[in-house]
Amino acid sequence: MNRKKRVPLKEQGKHFFIFPAIIWLLVFTIFPLLYTLYLSFHGSRFLRVTKFVGLENYIYVLSDYRFWNAFRVTITFVVLSVLLTVGLGLLLALLFNRQMKGVQFFRTICTTPLFTAPVALGYMFMIILYEEGGPVNNFLHALGANAIPWLSHPRWALVSVLIADVWQWTPFAFLVLLAALQAAPRDLYEAASLDSASGWEIFRHITLPLISPTLGTVIILRTVEAFKVFDLPFALTNGGPGLATRTLTFNVYTSGLRDQNLGVATATAVILLLMVLAVSQIFFRRYGSNYD
Amino acid sequence: MRKKRRWTNIILWIAVIVAVVWMLFPFYWAVITSIKKPADVFRLSFIPFVQFEPTSENWRSELQMRGQEIKRGLKNSLIIGVCSALVALFIGALAGYGLARYKYHRVKNRDITMWILSQRFLPPAAVVIPFFLIFKTLGLIDSVVGLVLINATFGIPFAVLVTRDAFRDLPEEIEESALVDGCSRFQVFSRIALPLAAPALVAAGIICFAFAWNEFLFAFIMSYSKAVPMTVLIAGTQDTQGIQFWYVATRMLMAVVPPTILALTVQRYIVQGLTFGAVKG
Repeated sequence: MNRKKRVPLKEQGKHFFIFPAIIWLLVFTIFPLLYTLYLSFHGSRFLRVTKFVGLENYIYVLSDYRFWNAFRVTITFVVLSVLLTVGLGLLLALLFNRQMKGVQFFRTICTTPLFTAPVALGYMFMIILYEEGGPVNNFLHALGANAIPWLSHPRWALVSVLIADVWQWTPFAFLVLLAALQAAPRDLYEAASLDSASGWEIFRHITLPLISPTLGTVIILRTVEAFKVFDLPFALTNGGPGLATRTLTFNVYTSGLRDQNLGVATATAVILLLMVLAVSQIFFRRYGSNYD
Repeated sequence: MRKKRRWTNIILWIAVIVAVVWMLFPFYWAVITSIKKPADVFRLSFIPFVQFEPTSENWRSELQMRGQEIKRGLKNSLIIGVCSALVALFIGALAGYGLARYKYHRVKNRDITMWILSQRFLPPAAVVIPFFLIFKTLGLIDSVVGLVLINATFGIPFAVLVTRDAFRDLPEEIEESALVDGCSRFQVFSRIALPLAAPALVAAGIICFAFAWNEFLFAFIMSYSKAVPMTVLIAGTQDTQGIQFWYVATRMLMAVVPPTILALTVQRYIVQGLTFGAVKG
């Protein structure tokens, strides 16, 4: 008898808990997103909306070489950054997945890059990669090699941005993958090494399947994060030389707030958003169950 | 066999040394740049006292000439970081508790979680223009309040996911018996669940704080004088007479040190935190 009465007690106030978050996110993300969509179909003058222009902004953006340049830069950056950070991180994780003195200390050091502000990181690497008198080029000079135009050559500038990004995010892949490896059951490995399987075979048939959900999660989180890049090239190369390191987010900033063309900026933002949504769709399909 | 093991050990230690040097070098270089005389900055020298004469002149003149600005920058970063972390944590913990303890019917728990998580995936560039326009209308440009609101928004999905997992790990029995004893759900939440989940909550709060402290895009667009935080302050160093690396280094270090030191205290939660709970560290 009593019991039946208490079930509603347990259910009491359930909306009270969840509503603040939902309302907050509706106001502060869904509403601005819809506003972005609205702006992308309208013209503007001096940061004021003028009239409905249909797809004009999109047509303008898609026929603008600066958009396609930023598109190329962003995609190149995302692909290389994800490959390098996850690849190196996995390599390090495999290397350190053993009983060893100092692993804890090593992990401690690994967390520091993760919490360095990307803008600060940009300036850090600017000092290091500075072409005339920076330590790297001075070092190369001492070895008798030629100086590398780290920041003034379009290709090298993108490499520099990538180096800084790899510095920051490899530890992320490393720490997460190491956690996944250490959670893997030991006896599987022991059985395999008794069967005298080679290192590669163990990796291919035991390790990889075990960590593949985590690997997938890491890859997608890194991809989504890499699509957002702005601070780092802003600080390190200011998008240059020319347009060489201008990412899509950089374009949203320059067209919207420097040139004050809201329609073009928001149309670019919508296209970027669609790209990220496509990636995160894969994520939620395949790895959503990790969050149950 | 033994010989092989020795070789792997050697390779391992080389890898450790290379990785440690690689990770610490930028910090080290920033530190020694900040204590070099301008004339020494462009020379290849690593060891203070041996290769070059260190000086505190850069720090002193930086703090003297731009002390006010830096103090304000640190204060703004601190306010933005702390307040946005608290807001995100408060709203996030409520939702996290709800998702951990109740079953929602009209929309399933899983769909709510996914929806909240998906907010974290949005590129900030997708909302930066509307935020700018709305804040301009509301008079929130160059206001710390505006930046707190924005950073709290970015922190909420993270806080929800992490606190949900923390509450889930708590035994439900204590809370149930408290309910039977006549406590309201909110009392159970605030007096029993919150204190028990405190370590995870503090960790989530610190990570939110670090995100907010490091945020740049919005801070750069929404602040120009009285609300300028450290990240924007370091970005402004270029304008004066070329780039004076020795000053850049001092300011950069002041911006980098607080969040990194804080993050060291919550290492245990970092893996779980940065994957939004998908991987338990």
